[in-house]
Amino acid sequence: MSDAFDKKAFRAEIAAWLEANCPESQRQPIRQAEQIWGGRRRRFPSADAQAWFEAARDRGFTAPEWPQEHGGAGLSPEQGKILRQEMTRLGCRPPLYEQGIWMLGPALLVYGNESQKQQHLRAICRGEIRWAQGYSEPGAGSDLASLRTKAEDKGDHFLVNGTKIWTTKADEADWIFCLVRTDETAPKQQGISFLLIDMETEGVSTTPIPLISGETEFCQTFFDNVRVPKENLVGELNQGWSVAKELLKHERKMMSNTDDMIEKLDFDLVESAKTHFGIDSDGALQSAELRARLAQHLMRDRAVKQLGERVFWQTKAGQLDPRLPLLLKHLGTSEMQVGDELALEVLGKHGLSLTETGDQSDNVKVTKRWAFDKALTIAGGTSEIQLNIIAKRALGLPSGENAS
Amino acid sequence: MILNEEQRILQQSMADFFEAEAPIAALRALRDAPSHLNFDAGLWQQMVELGLPALTVPEAYGGVELGWMGLGAICQEAGRRLVASPLIASAVVAQTVVMHCASEDQCAELLPAMVTGELTASLAVDEGVHFRGLATQCQVVEGRLNGTKRLVMEGAQVSRLLLVARREEASLGVVVLDPNAPGVTVTPIKLMDGRGYADIQLREVTVSDADWLAGDTVEHGLEHALAIGSVALAAEMMGGARELLERTVAYLCEREQFGVKIGSFQALQHRCAQLYCDLELAQSAVDAALTALDHGADNIVALASAAKAMANDCFQSMSSQAVQLHGGMGVTDEMDIGLFLKRSRVCNQLLGDADWHRRRFAEAHGF
Repeated sequence: MSDAFDKKAFRAEIAAWLEANCPESQRQPIRQAEQIWGGRRRRFPSADAQAWFEAARDRGFTAPEWPQEHGGAGLSPEQGKILRQEMTRLGCRPPLYEQGIWMLGPALLVYGNESQKQQHLRAICRGEIRWAQGYSEPGAGSDLASLRTKAEDKGDHFLVNGTKIWTTKADEADWIFCLVRTDETAPKQQGISFLLIDMETEGVSTTPIPLISGETEFCQTFFDNVRVPKENLVGELNQGWSVAKELLKHERKMMSNTDDMIEKLDFDLVESAKTHFGIDSDGALQSAELRARLAQHLMRDRAVKQLGERVFWQTKAGQLDPRLPLLLKHLGTSEMQVGDELALEVLGKHGLSLTETGDQSDNVKVTKRWAFDKALTIAGGTSEIQLNIIAKRALGLPSGENAS
Repeated sequence: MILNEEQRILQQSMADFFEAEAPIAALRALRDAPSHLNFDAGLWQQMVELGLPALTVPEAYGGVELGWMGLGAICQEAGRRLVASPLIASAVVAQTVVMHCASEDQCAELLPAMVTGELTASLAVDEGVHFRGLATQCQVVEGRLNGTKRLVMEGAQVSRLLLVARREEASLGVVVLDPNAPGVTVTPIKLMDGRGYADIQLREVTVSDADWLAGDTVEHGLEHALAIGSVALAAEMMGGARELLERTVAYLCEREQFGVKIGSFQALQHRCAQLYCDLELAQSAVDAALTALDHGADNIVALASAAKAMANDCFQSMSSQAVQLHGGMGVTDEMDIGLFLKRSRVCNQLLGDADWHRRRFAEAHGF
């Protein structure tokens, strides 16, 4: 984290590179269907999208802060921030969407051995392998450590049996990282290991789960006598909980700031409110009540980002208050839901359909997002679990019966 | 959005100073004193000697610009101990009004005197039951000023009033007024937070051209000063809210019922955790506004309104919950909790309540 680089020159260099390599068509707000996900079944919606992806990949910009030897660009956090700012300024689309970048990679960098890093990190940033997450089980949600998917030591391999649920987009993934039980006699957090499993292995099957949004973002994945090579164990045997927690930190960070990841809809809350509720001669919304709630939401929404800024600058100065990152997931996801509810309210009768009606508006997508976002305060550790963690770790309140 | 070394040192030394010279017992003494004293002049003189009024003033006028994040940190330390002083009224709001609304000659006359503590001033702007920004009924017609001002901070003890009035029927202006001038009636008011305010009656007060602040951008300067004042007050309020949360958590870790510490109950833990989330959220809005000032922004209306609205809501719910979580002890005057509760409600009305600031924010964002 040195200040030794010339920020101005770096920013200019980045801007020039983006201007030269990001085609104009890739600087428009991105639709979901245009997102580029990695993997063996990778496809590009257009030649421009492919060109932009390949340029970013070759420059290490799909995972800018990872080391160059693993396919990243080796940027410092501050350089990474400048890159993100310039991409936002120019409207550049994210070149690659990948759970391996957001979650698995950062954990592998800490806990993976050299050959695991060599095998997986570069393939992730190059968009060659798409990853799914195998954490929750039907009987292990908030109480994740009670998971029962079992990996038995069979000498040269592990034999895995069980099932994982809420495996996001697992039906399109190539590999899955899993928490498995490797010691049934140890206290529950101590008998867990972290395994990487190729989903083409015999005995792995995945079924999508229809959600209230009408989509099938989440799946259930089954493991029936799946043979997994020993070298796919990350970290020590029975020490998987540490890897799991490292990864959860990144998952929560990602969930508290989804600006880059969520589709930019053709819907503006304020403009829509003005259209449907009308404005008076001063330009103020006719409904004072809605106006106040809208203002309240926008203030809080901005403050979540400002809290993220504080975390960034404190980290950079080596003065991080370790309590602050614990707040981001709960605050960010609950404010998103407030925004979704306001959107539905503002749309009135136009916000009540989940099936395409043929008009050109994004109203159905707004409604789908409202339904889908109900998952945000559940996935990655429920808000209630987040509050338990904050109470104990940030405030130091005494342990009771409740979990964290 | 972080404090530099110098600012952190000053914050710590001010914390130590307030702890020693202006603990909450000092506010109780002020509250219970029979006189209408607004603040302890001796304490203010010490604060002046420590250089606090100099912090918002350019070097040319005897100031040392520490930066707004640094000033916010000091307001916060004052808020933690409910320090009664004209820090915000005079050193922040009035000095900012002078800097942005006065001519160079007037700045040269007023600012150095404020930095040395020779002069204190307070902005007289509020008139109705609720704060309405710069809307005013006070008007000077043919050199005579008439009208009423309310809730002027430390208004019964400052040496100058900076009074917002209409100049004839036209533009808005600021009159520098001696509170002892003929026709000025100052009614001291002590509110439930134990601090001193004043209502000001103006009857045929003579105002000459030289009494008006004569800068070029008076209206913008006033808006800016109100915004800065809101942010500084919000910073003070964050100090109060933070102190309350710490005291409440400490109480929950100590108080036992049903044979366990009551802080082990999940219902109470979740309430505290949510309060902490809202505290840091509001703090982030306050820090964002201070940082914008440090970067030289001259229009922070939206950021300031977000900061003040969120600080109002945060301190209000924090103080109500702190009383509740202290159980019966929370409603006794012996505990300090009630003092914070009352300060929160007074702060809500100073420089605009949450409703006002949400409307300002909406306006700034085009709805």
